[in-house]
Amino acid sequence: MTVRIAGEALNACSGCEISFLDMGERCITLMETLQIVHLPLLMDSKHSGITGRDHSFDIPEADIGLVSGSIKTDDHFHLARAMRKACSTVVALGTCAGHGGIPAMANAYDNQEIEQCFLSTISTDQGSLFPSAHVPALMDTCRAVDEIIRVDHYLPGCPPHPDHIFGLLTALAKGQDYDLPAKSVCSNCPALRNGKGEVVRLLRPLDLPAKASPGTGESRNGLLCFIEQGFLCMGPVTIDGCGGNSSLARCIEAGVPCRGCFGPLPYPGDQRLAMLNALVSNGIDMDSLPETRSLLRFSGGHGRLTPPFGKKDTRTDGS
Amino acid sequence: MIPRFEPVIIGFLCNWCSYTGADLAGVARMQYPPNLRPIRVMCTGMVHPGLVMEAFDQGTDGVLILGCHPGECHYLEGNKKALARAGVIFRVLEDKGINPERFEIQWISSAEASVFAELVTRFTQKIQKLGPYSPLPRQAYDTGIKTYDRL
Ligand code: SF4
Ligand code: SF4
Ligand code: SF4
Repeated sequence: MTVRIAGEALNACSGCEISFLDMGERCITLMETLQIVHLPLLMDSKHSGITGRDHSFDIPEADIGLVSGSIKTDDHFHLARAMRKACSTVVALGTCAGHGGIPAMANAYDNQEIEQCFLSTISTDQGSLFPSAHVPALMDTCRAVDEIIRVDHYLPGCPPHPDHIFGLLTALAKGQDYDLPAKSVCSNCPALRNGKGEVVRLLRPLDLPAKASPGTGESRNGLLCFIEQGFLCMGPVTIDGCGGNSSLARCIEAGVPCRGCFGPLPYPGDQRLAMLNALVSNGIDMDSLPETRSLLRFSGGHGRLTPPFGKKDTRTDGS
Repeated sequence: MIPRFEPVIIGFLCNWCSYTGADLAGVARMQYPPNLRPIRVMCTGMVHPGLVMEAFDQGTDGVLILGCHPGECHYLEGNKKALARAGVIFRVLEDKGINPERFEIQWISSAEASVFAELVTRFTQKIQKLGPYSPLPRQAYDTGIKTYDRL
């Protein structure tokens, strides 16, 4: 029996689909049991809804639906629902689909600000308006996919690792479950950790480390934990798995701190709250960060990121 | 007559000072509003900011964290940690569009029953003035679908 796959990208960058292709030769292995029936970013299958004329998305029936990207417009909303109708299993592919991802950073502003931002630049004509025709209307906030439709499986990552995409698709084809281990990036990090207490302020990325790390070679032997060097590393609050089957986290392997792209641990969690808590509990001054909203740069969906207090019109608080 | 707004206030009270202080206020039959729902914790230092945010997510109107006076922590530095974590709570409340006035951290020793009663009275009145906190369901997107009917 062939398993049919459909895919759609909503408020997405196509990185997740590229990661799909990055499976390389394994794609061919997969195609022995799987058949892609619809995936506009990779195949020549289109639907009329994309022109904004109507909301009829003729997505063929499929067993597995890969939905990447978050939901911010009219089109995304209807497309997500059409995917749910067409597919018996829906996978939220990538951090955008699971947690809001990069596009959900828009949630720190209201739509008016967002529109102003691109309508009143030096190069825009005076008096430009948000187009009403041919462009889908904006929703109030940018949502993760599971805020609109039921999601059966999550594959976090920006983008997810090809190993996990392969693992998930093979597992689903066999009717099995597939989950990433619920561990943090730190749990798998080779960095040396000497304990709490020495760092009291975080440095900016281009500053010299507070404490030099002895090991910087390829193997990362002797690498000192980035936080102990004085840099922000989101490893403690981010789910592990970005290394794929080779276990080392990708950014750590490259010698830079984790930025949190695999989304919060535990699910659903608040990466900013957890990270700030981890910092202050260890005596690190959180005011040494210029701002904290960017700690939600990958997980601003689910109402985690909102315009700040004091903006009366957008406050969720009644007072 | 409009019924008076009776806020729900969650209090995290440390076992060694504030809870004992609250106990004493009860034994001494002091009068204070019944809006506080005390939760006894071994130390305020163990109250993760996530717990406070969860209380708000579930619709509480105010949260109090009450611990021992600085320097009197049963575990030496727990209240110091609680204070640092309170900073995170204030910051995140503000950023999430919740009035940070709805949260307070205070120190009550086991002998300060009257201070406890006064504090709960003042805090309750403050929350009554602020009005109920309702985590408004973010406006259901206007597609004719009023709630997200999860297909
Ligand atoms: S999760 Fe990352 S790679 Fe995937 S669509 Fe979103 S931004 Fe792109
Ligand atoms: S904070 Fe970063 S560098 Fe330190 S152990 Fe965790 S992942 Fe590794
Ligand atoms: S180390 Fe962190 S930011 Fe880098 S790929 Fe892994 S989860 Fe993403």
